[in-house]
Amino acid sequence: MSLNNEGINVKKLDICGKVCPMTFIYTKLALEEMDSNEILEVLLDFPAAIENVPDSCKRQDLAEVVEIKEIEGNKKTWLLILRKI
Amino acid sequence: MNLTDEQINRYSRQIVLKEVGGIGQKKLLNSKVTVIGLGALGSPVAYYLTAAGIGNLKLVDFDKVELSNLHRQILHSTDDINKNKSQSAFEKLSALNPDCNIELIEELVVPGNVKEIIKGSDYVIEGSDNFPTKMLINDACVDLKIPFTIAGVLRFHGQIITVIPEKKTTCYRCLFGDVAESPTGMSCSQAGVIGLIPGVVGCIEANEAIKYILNIGELLINKILFVDLKTYRFTMIDAYRTEDCLACGEHAKDLVNSYDYGVENACH
Repeated sequence: MSLNNEGINVKKLDICGKVCPMTFIYTKLALEEMDSNEILEVLLDFPAAIENVPDSCKRQDLAEVVEIKEIEGNKKTWLLILRKI
Repeated sequence: MNLTDEQINRYSRQIVLKEVGGIGQKKLLNSKVTVIGLGALGSPVAYYLTAAGIGNLKLVDFDKVELSNLHRQILHSTDDINKNKSQSAFEKLSALNPDCNIELIEELVVPGNVKEIIKGSDYVIEGSDNFPTKMLINDACVDLKIPFTIAGVLRFHGQIITVIPEKKTTCYRCLFGDVAESPTGMSCSQAGVIGLIPGVVGCIEANEAIKYILNIGELLINKILFVDLKTYRFTMIDAYRTEDCLACGEHAKDLVNSYDYGVENACH
């Protein structure tokens, strides 16, 4: 856990290699350990998770999407930035 | 306590539920449930509680597996005939889920040992095959304030009731009063039972324990659920407390140490 420039805790989670629904489950487990308003940065490489994880987080009132960044490299990965509700 | 990757995978399809999550899964893994009877009702109860990751299961049965049990007691197989039911159950359940710490009590539940057996349980599920034992479990759980579910099955139908003594909900004795015999006057061996009905009803009993531990949904308190597999009627009726109930009423007595249950003479 580190602090961002707004002084808010930021937690990082690398779930590259995980597929749905495990992408959401690992994200959910991480969010459960966090306080409201804290940021979770999820690094993932399963394309469908870009829609599925935010959708499930919203349905379960766990987190809202702050940003989704695509990271260029040998294999396409994304950084999903979530704010715990 | 953190869930291992293996546990996250094993329980993933229930962790994903909003009502469960990692927090709920840890509650299940930390819980202690006692199952009385490893026959027709106890089989699905024990299977599903083990699969769900109830961390501590106490399984109670004194009986041996018989050929005539096998059409409904799905924990046991033909190779288990003459084996203790608790031992047979242990083999199946420990193979299903090593997370589950299983304690076996190979004794007939009687007034002299019932409180020792259920003490410390978060929840008790009654799955015996006779009325005196159901009443004994009711009285002991009410006395020790342990939440529990009792069910009964006969022919194609069954009934389920959950009791939360702390909340003073209607207990089994409130409904059946001071009687020592089953109101139906018949056991399964006389009246017959379709193998599926304890399966359906046992699953509902296990569901009650899980819902109680996770504090989700509505429990079968102050009501009885009647299940009829011939007509598929699931009927819920309100069940009211009896003011002068000997187990939970204002002048309740220590019934376990004074009441003549006749468990030893019950038809098993």
